[in-house]
Amino acid sequence: MSKPIKQAATNAWLYLHAPQLLIDYQSALQSAEQQQQPQALAQSAGAGKRYLVQANQAALDAGVSAGMAEVTASTLLPELQLRDYQGWREQQVLQQLAQVIYQDVAQIALYPPQGLLFEVRSLLKLYGGYAGLHQRLQQRLQDWPVRLVLASGYSPLSARLLAEAGQQSLCSDPQQVSAALQRLPITASGLPAAQIKRLQEVGLDSVGALLSRPAAELGARFGKAVTLYLAELRGDYLPPQHYFRPPVKFYQRLDLLSEVSSWPQLLFPLKRLLHQLEVFLQIRQLSLRGLTVQAYHRDQPPTKVRVNFAHAVWQQQDLLNLCQLQLENYQLIHPALELSVQAGALEPRTATAGALIGDEQHSGEPGSPTTARPLGELISRLQARLGAAAVQVPVPVTDWRPERAHQYHPWREQQATTRPASLPRPLWLLPEPQVTELRRWQLQWGPERISSGWWDDQAAQRDYFIALDEQQRQGWIYQSEYGWFLHGWFT
Amino acid sequence: MVGSPELSLTAAPVALHCLSNYSFLRGGSHPRELVAQAQLLGYQALAITDECSMAGVVKAYLAARDSSLKLLIGSEFQVPELGVVILLATNRRGYGQLCRLITTARARSKKGQYRVATADFLAGLENCLLLWRPQDDKAVADYGQMLSEAFPQRCWLAYSRHYLADDAAKYRAYQSYHQQSGLPVLAACEVRYHSAERQPLHDLLTAIRHQQPLTEVVAELLPNQEYRLRSPAELQQCYPADWLAAAAAIAGRCDFCLSELCYEYPAELVPAGKTATEYLRQLTYEGAAQRFPDGLTAGVREKLEKELKLIAQLRYEYFFLTIQDLVQFAQQRGILYQGRGSAANSVVCYCLQITAVNPDQIDVLFERFISVERDEPPDIDVDFEHERREEIIQYIYRKYSRDRAALAATVICYRLRSALRDVGKALGFSEQELSHYLRHIDRRDSETSWQAQLQQQVPGLTGTARGRWLLELTDQLRGFPRHLSQHVGGFVIASGSLAELVPVENASMPERTVIQWDKDDLETLRLIKVDVLALGMLTALRKMFALVSQHHQRDWDLASIPTEDAKVYQMLQRADSIGVFQIESRAQMNMLPRLKPATFYDLVVQIAIVRPGPIQGDMVHPYLRRRAGEEAVEFPSAEVRQVLERTLGVPIFQEQVIKLAMVAAGFSGGEADQLRRAMANWHSTGELAQFEARLIEGMQKRGYATEFARRIYQQICGFGEYGFPESHSASFANLAYASAWMKCHYPAAFYCGLLNSLPMGFYSADQLVQDARRHHIVVLPPDIQHSDWHHQLVSLQGQLGIRLGLRLIRGLSGKTIVPILQQRPADGFSSQQQLRELGLPAAELQKLAAADVLDNLSGHRYQSQWQSLALQEEQLPLFANNNEPQQALTELEPPREFVDIAADYRTTGLSLRRHPLALLREQGGLRGCKTATELRGCRHQQVVQVAGLVTCRQRPGTASGVTFITLEDETGLVNVVIWQTTARQFRKPYLTARLLKVRGIVEIHGEVMHVIAGTLFDESEQLARLGMRTNRSRDFH
Repeated sequence: MSKPIKQAATNAWLYLHAPQLLIDYQSALQSAEQQQQPQALAQSAGAGKRYLVQANQAALDAGVSAGMAEVTASTLLPELQLRDYQGWREQQVLQQLAQVIYQDVAQIALYPPQGLLFEVRSLLKLYGGYAGLHQRLQQRLQDWPVRLVLASGYSPLSARLLAEAGQQSLCSDPQQVSAALQRLPITASGLPAAQIKRLQEVGLDSVGALLSRPAAELGARFGKAVTLYLAELRGDYLPPQHYFRPPVKFYQRLDLLSEVSSWPQLLFPLKRLLHQLEVFLQIRQLSLRGLTVQAYHRDQPPTKVRVNFAHAVWQQQDLLNLCQLQLENYQLIHPALELSVQAGALEPRTATAGALIGDEQHSGEPGSPTTARPLGELISRLQARLGAAAVQVPVPVTDWRPERAHQYHPWREQQATTRPASLPRPLWLLPEPQVTELRRWQLQWGPERISSGWWDDQAAQRDYFIALDEQQRQGWIYQSEYGWFLHGWFT
Repeated sequence: MVGSPELSLTAAPVALHCLSNYSFLRGGSHPRELVAQAQLLGYQALAITDECSMAGVVKAYLAARDSSLKLLIGSEFQVPELGVVILLATNRRGYGQLCRLITTARARSKKGQYRVATADFLAGLENCLLLWRPQDDKAVADYGQMLSEAFPQRCWLAYSRHYLADDAAKYRAYQSYHQQSGLPVLAACEVRYHSAERQPLHDLLTAIRHQQPLTEVVAELLPNQEYRLRSPAELQQCYPADWLAAAAAIAGRCDFCLSELCYEYPAELVPAGKTATEYLRQLTYEGAAQRFPDGLTAGVREKLEKELKLIAQLRYEYFFLTIQDLVQFAQQRGILYQGRGSAANSVVCYCLQITAVNPDQIDVLFERFISVERDEPPDIDVDFEHERREEIIQYIYRKYSRDRAALAATVICYRLRSALRDVGKALGFSEQELSHYLRHIDRRDSETSWQAQLQQQVPGLTGTARGRWLLELTDQLRGFPRHLSQHVGGFVIASGSLAELVPVENASMPERTVIQWDKDDLETLRLIKVDVLALGMLTALRKMFALVSQHHQRDWDLASIPTEDAKVYQMLQRADSIGVFQIESRAQMNMLPRLKPATFYDLVVQIAIVRPGPIQGDMVHPYLRRRAGEEAVEFPSAEVRQVLERTLGVPIFQEQVIKLAMVAAGFSGGEADQLRRAMANWHSTGELAQFEARLIEGMQKRGYATEFARRIYQQICGFGEYGFPESHSASFANLAYASAWMKCHYPAAFYCGLLNSLPMGFYSADQLVQDARRHHIVVLPPDIQHSDWHHQLVSLQGQLGIRLGLRLIRGLSGKTIVPILQQRPADGFSSQQQLRELGLPAAELQKLAAADVLDNLSGHRYQSQWQSLALQEEQLPLFANNNEPQQALTELEPPREFVDIAADYRTTGLSLRRHPLALLREQGGLRGCKTATELRGCRHQQVVQVAGLVTCRQRPGTASGVTFITLEDETGLVNVVIWQTTARQFRKPYLTARLLKVRGIVEIHGEVMHVIAGTLFDESEQLARLGMRTNRSRDFH
């Protein structure tokens, strides 16, 4: 070796690589029986070709492997269940994993899609070396049945390469790390594929062979990128790491000091907690749409109540009013000893545009209590009382069948605006068409023939007429294969 | 109301505005369905008015030809400021005007689109009628007067009612348009499909057009089924009588039939003062004097006269003259070509140098030249060298101009796969679900319909309405035209402007235009196309001839190669046919030792028999048994004997099947022609079934046994679209023989010519080079000091060997390297630096180094590359010398042998070093395995073990469930047969192994030797250890 590895490195690094992260995570959520099914994630390589990215153990046992063409895999194993690999989902899982480990490790850098880098120098002291740290992580990840490789190194890159090559190694001896690194084939160097190909072409087919060449010669032939790479590998150059910060959350727990057996009695302590929440939100200029209230009991699992708001709120008064409404519906079965309020999914306070009711409510100063929107508030109250699904609004949709030309959707603050086709339609559409007789009607206009909807098994074939009844009321009647029906009134 | 003469209410209705499915994704019925429905409902006339297109009219014409329904020809245009305009041709001139408008509108846009403006309609359409659906009041106010003046007494407001909510408003609007403009109103129902059941498919096409699921585009769907062809009663209920009468009167004013179109040949082919007949006769006899230097025999002269008479009678002189002109040009340019097709096998074509097939052979083969009885257009395809066909095409454009020459179209239709995908997506199935379903359909399974297969494999599918619609609508959509593409090489050349005959539109290839009709349409109208095709083997043969001329001082061409050379046939009987045209595939090679071709005609049979048609029709085994004398050849009658005698009583060619239908079942010429068409596309339409009863009854009536009749019908079904015409087979046999003759007598030139014509044919350079070396031809590696761009023949101790060229190197550009090779000093280049100074870019230098062609210049592969990498920057001359780091030339270890082999394959696709299998064997990795050579010493039924690189996996559509795998080792090829159960049991090695070890049993039948696999082992890991990762196998192509 031309250059000795830095002794007594200022930092120590540990890299976690989970090659099958997404599918392992998905498997963990499945029943034992489902886990026995061979499953794989595939993605497109362009030109209609798809290949496997990850496979569960059952699939691997049956001879399927990552990188295999999807066609080959499914011919080999017809019962193989294939899903689309979704990178963003894996990224979320990686975030979650980081959050779990964050309880033990402060400095975590995300290396999507499947890696986490830890700076562990101080932790080694705390846990008494790699063995202790390893044990700690194992405990922490008990509920995470994810196949992973942990490797230590004297630079982030060295740890990463070893882990990605599947070499589980936890040791603080740089010589050992270096020896393991040198044995890695050049294909495991993490260099771009084109670069690897060129190195192979001159016989540099291991990381060791690469390290043995004079840096100047390599630089002249393969460019600055390789020089930088070598410096990074040796730990001479440390690229800046972007450490993970957990998402902002509010969590406060309060000892009630005495047993409380009804909600109204909890209101006072809740008020305090909500005040803290308001301060928390105020400092950060955030608002929220929901929170979780938990009451803790002596021997029972806590009672958990999720409170949702139809619009974003941040003031204690609003929070309290809405919580109060909702909590009244719950029986407190066991006496409570402690109370907590937890809120995630916080959002910045921005003026939300677009409303069903006119703009005049925006007259107040933004952020002041008077700008609270009465309709939104009303709906929040209604939803809090009746449940979110009970408050619905009709939305026009395009369908030639009149009874399907609108649908009810749960109320949302911002409704999509669609315009119905302008057709002669009665103001009052009967909920169910009523059987009628033609002789009671005098036809005025028609027919409008509607024959549509074959795709959802509710096909309609009708001839509609506008007609007058004996009282000269204008009705909307139709004839179908079942006879004559009244469907609505114009007057 | 409009003042029009009172007509009886019972007058037969007319349909003036019908879109067929050639208005792609807008029309929901085939033209023939519209025609049939109109007949059923008692229409007197039907207009096909596809949007800016004539692509569907010939199909409608064919369907209406023998009926009383009058077909009107028209087209619909969406004009931005006007609304919808429908033009109908009143006569031949009007039709020409319409075609020209479509051509102009299409020329303004890219493929598949068009653009029109009001101005296009104001002049040049004097013989067309215009029906107008105005966009709004404003359009009538702005343009009513203009149109009325441009189309005096020829312009109507076209009212269409579909029982919609705005019916009344629309009716009032048309009355007001009428008052405003004075234009008369008529009833012209807009028809999108022939019958109400097509509404779902039409809705679906709308969704496909919008590329969204159906439920997302409901607003775009039509609200009811009133866009069908309505019955007369329904029409009377729907429209005022006088508006209907006005429409009926329109039909009376249109008097144009597509049968009036006749081909007007390019006149310039005939010199002034001569008739075409005279000139053709003159050229033919001039050619005959060359072809038959010893004079014509009475027999040949008689045949020649008969052909000339027939040509004159059918007025096909110009067709022959056109082709003669093309081949003359090819001769001048030294481009090799060969004519084929039924009309090509004539003495006339031989004399005109269109073909090189000796008429002595023709006489034996063909009683058919051009059939007066069948009245089908003559068929001559001319194949040209694939690398030079473009020169011929450019010649055609130059000679006749782009206005007069264009390619025929090919209609791209929905097939099962594409139909299921599009229907599925529109019904909201996900991409994965659809892929999943498609994976469960085995299209080779001809016994179970795809629907049945899906129902078996995905049982829940038909439990839902959506699943049932998926099956139903996919089936309906199959065979629907999707877009027009260009025919491989069929040119239509007109005497005047082609656009007066048929609309011309842009193809996706720049500078190419296509007409809106395909080859079937041309055939229906008896218009003639000239097929200018590309064939790789012709390129190879010309290169072989040139090499032989250069190195042996012998000039051969296709016509002068000695015929019926016994040595050639002996070679083929040994299945030594790699590289030989047509009979080089695995299946053909298997057949050679069994069929043992000994004459030219045997080759004709051999080429036609190893095809899905004869194999599915079970004609191979009877033919082989009869040929071997194991089975008696019997004919039920003298007529049948006449048809089948030359193929031992087994129908092998398409012509024989047709002829049989005529002589044994009493089909007329016309009926036989219909049968031929039905055979050509029976898979898509199932038309063939209608002939079953007629065939069998016909034969029974003529005294043939029912069993014989059934067998013939079965054979016809098996033939299907795969039947091979004898005339084509004969032309292919001619090239097969020519290439085999070259392989037999000038093997070095043969391989060199082939290698210089790649890509073509069945085998890679690697496989060809290995075959060459097995034939003891020395092959030298590419070398910067010796190689040219192309491979060349070199003399080595009195023997010809092959020096491989630099064209083998992947990614290397000929344009860059050739000028540098031209500057190569007599004693070779001195350094890499010199190459760079001559202008070779660094990237190209690295490719040379990687391909190990710099060995003589700068040492082994690693060393050469290490050096070339240091020369990558464009260096200033000042530093050039400084920067040549002599001291930096640290000696690198040479690569190990297997690394070199792998790198050879990676960079050039072949290696002249030892075969990887030889290496593995040396290392003891293949203990107990026999080589391909050793295998020849084994006895029948012996249990053996073999191993080799998988070079080909083939599952013929024919024999059910069997796969052929070819294994290659250092001594040759081993053929392995794998039965389905074995394949299933060893699925992984069967599908994925690159190095396969097989334990099995030797099977010997005559000269054919296989190993029937019992156990498969994947040994690819051994290759990976050698560093070989590339897959060289051609799998299931």
